[in-house]
Formats: sequence, C-alpha cells, structure tokens
Amino acid sequence: MRKLRANSKGQFVIIAVLLIALMIVSIGAVMSRAVTYYKHEPWEEYLTLLGNVEISSSRLVELSLANYTNSASPSSSILKNNLQNWQGDMSRIYPGYGITLAATLPSGPYNVYGATATYSYGLNYTWQKRASFSVANATFTLNVTSIGLTGYKYTSIAFLNLTILSVNTDTSEITVTVKRENSEPIFNLEQDNFQVDGRTISKVSSRYDDQYIVVYTIKCQGTLTLPVTVRVWDSRGIKVIARYP
Amino acid sequence: MTKKNGNKGQIRVIETILASFFIMFALTFANIFAALPTSPRYEATELQKLGFNVLQDLDEKGLLPRFVYNNEWDNLRAALRVTLSADTHFNLTVYDLDGEKVNDVSIFYGDYQTFAASKNIASVSYGLVGYPVQVGGSYQAVYEPRTLILQLTRG
Repeated sequence: MRKLRANSKGQFVIIAVLLIALMIVSIGAVMSRAVTYYKHEPWEEYLTLLGNVEISSSRLVELSLANYTNSASPSSSILKNNLQNWQGDMSRIYPGYGITLAATLPSGPYNVYGATATYSYGLNYTWQKRASFSVANATFTLNVTSIGLTGYKYTSIAFLNLTILSVNTDTSEITVTVKRENSEPIFNLEQDNFQVDGRTISKVSSRYDDQYIVVYTIKCQGTLTLPVTVRVWDSRGIKVIARYP
Repeated sequence: MTKKNGNKGQIRVIETILASFFIMFALTFANIFAALPTSPRYEATELQKLGFNVLQDLDEKGLLPRFVYNNEWDNLRAALRVTLSADTHFNLTVYDLDGEKVNDVSIFYGDYQTFAASKNIASVSYGLVGYPVQVGGSYQAVYEPRTLILQLTRG
C-alpha cells in the first residue's frame, strides 16, 4: 500500500491533463457552432426567395390556364407570352439578386394523371367528354447569380378534372367528381362553381365517397334530358366542360 | 514531514480539477438558461427572413393575392398583425410594374416614431403575378404583376 502511494504521484497530473484536454475540446466544439451558425444563416433567406419564385411560377401557370380556358378565342401562346413577360419583370421585382428564369413548355402527347394530353406550348384542354380536363405544364430552370446558384430545376403543373359519374333524369340530379393535381379531390366547390347548359341549378351538395373521396350532386330545376353538359370553375379560375354520355 | 510536503502538489491538482468542474458547470447552467439579446448585427437578416416567410405563408394559402387584387387592405393589415408578433412593427406598400403606389390606404402597424428612430429596418420585396377575377359567369385571368415592399422593425 505504501509502495502504491509512493508511485501514484504522476496519476493526478495525467487525470488533470486529460480533463483539461476534454474541456478544450468541448469549448472548441461550442466555439465552432457559434462561428458557423451565422455563416449558414443567409441560406435560409435564399431558400425563402426560391420558395417565392417557385410559388409565383406556379401561380403564373395557373393564371395562364385560367385565361386559356375562359377565353372565347383561346390563344395557346398565352403561357409562353406570360412567361416571357415574367422573366423580364422578375429582375425589377427582385433587384440585386441576379435572378434569371428559363422555361421549357412541352408540346405533343403526354400522359397526365392517367389521361393523354396533347400539349401546345404547355397548354391543353380535353372537353366535352365524360372525363374532361384542363392542364398546363412548364419546367423552369432558375439561376441566382448573387449566391452562385445555377440550374435549379422544378416543374409546375396546373390540372383540373371534371368527371360526370351518373345522370338521374327522374330526380334531375347529376353526380360528378372534381380533381386537381395528383388526383386530389377538391372540397370547397359551391353552387356558383357549377353550370349546367340549358338548366338552372337549384342545389349543389357534396358527400364522402369510398372510391372518389368527394362526390358532388347537382340538383337541377325541371326535367333533365340527355345529353347533359356541365361546366366547372375552381378557385383558381380554371374551367372544364364535361358532357354525358 | 517529507511525505506531507510531497502531497501538497496533489492537493493543488485536485483543487484545480474541482474548480474546473465548478466553472464548467456554471457555464453550462448559464448557457442553458440565459436569454441573450439578438445581436443588432443580425437583426435585419432575422426580420427579413420573417417577412419573407409571412408573405409566402399568406401566398400559399391564397390569401395574399386575394387581398392585394381585391384591394382588401384592412384584411391584409389584420392578417399581417395576426401572423407577426406584437413587437414587430411593419409598413407594407404595394406597387405596380411602373412603380406607382397601388394601396390608397396605409398598411401600417406600430409607432411611426419607433419606425423613424430604428437603426434596424428590414426590407422585403415580394412579387405576385395576377389573380383571376370573376366577371359574370366566367373568370378574367390577366397577367398583372404587383411588387410588395414590406418594411419591418422591432418595437
């Protein structure tokens, strides 16, 4: 025991050195976090800027489709023209960022949520069918020179589908489903959103359905005669016309 | 006696270790509970992020274009007041592409003096492309960009 005591002088120094080393490492880690925290901060600001540009691009695609589907003489170049204007105006809205936005519009047949859409400058509507739809599509490439970001790609799709499920001429009721992008059902439609050609709508009600999630029943005044044509507008102003049978 | 002198150094080392532990414990404790004031150097950046996020959130919900294109300035002010914290003062101005001010009513919250005296005012620029307006039984969807300039400061 005495021998052990005599030989244990240096152990305290080693333990102290180890603890001091541990403390230095800990302080180093804390200091590193403190220094690098604000270094990464601007990226969050730039991410919100990118988010804003993406939302604006989606809104522009939706707006162009709404214009295209509501126009008496629709021009398929409306999306192309709006995009060209937006590309120029963006530098005035976001000065100093060095934002440049390029867009590619598809042309020809494409599969869109199970249906075939034949695009012309990124726009298409297929109406007067039981399952009708309107669609717009654009792929964007974003460069932000102030942060050295180049080639940031994203796609914006605006889509509205109206399907007439059944028409009951005895009760003058039309059952329809309305879906948007990714085949998501639309919940908030009311009587103002629908029109039935040649008939006045007396009531529109919605109910849950196992297969379609949301089903709308359009009750018309008077007697319904086939064929029936139904028009729908969603909150974005996009229009679809479906016909049964 | 020689043995007693030999142990002196060891006691000092133990004291140092214990003192170090106390200091580390105190620092950790203070770090956990301390509410440090935001550095003025980064305050403008924080407010800028906040402003961007608030406008983007309202835009995603579809409220911002509705308020701006239907001239619902009071609703826009109320939405910003609800979304931002009570100590955040703001001044929002809406311009068209020619730089003409669109909002005829002031969209402002807070104290004018605080705004004028503040050294940290963040400014956020946000763009809107247009909004479909219901006309009769149809919609008019025209490309009509608006630039929103949101100025923020702490009260």
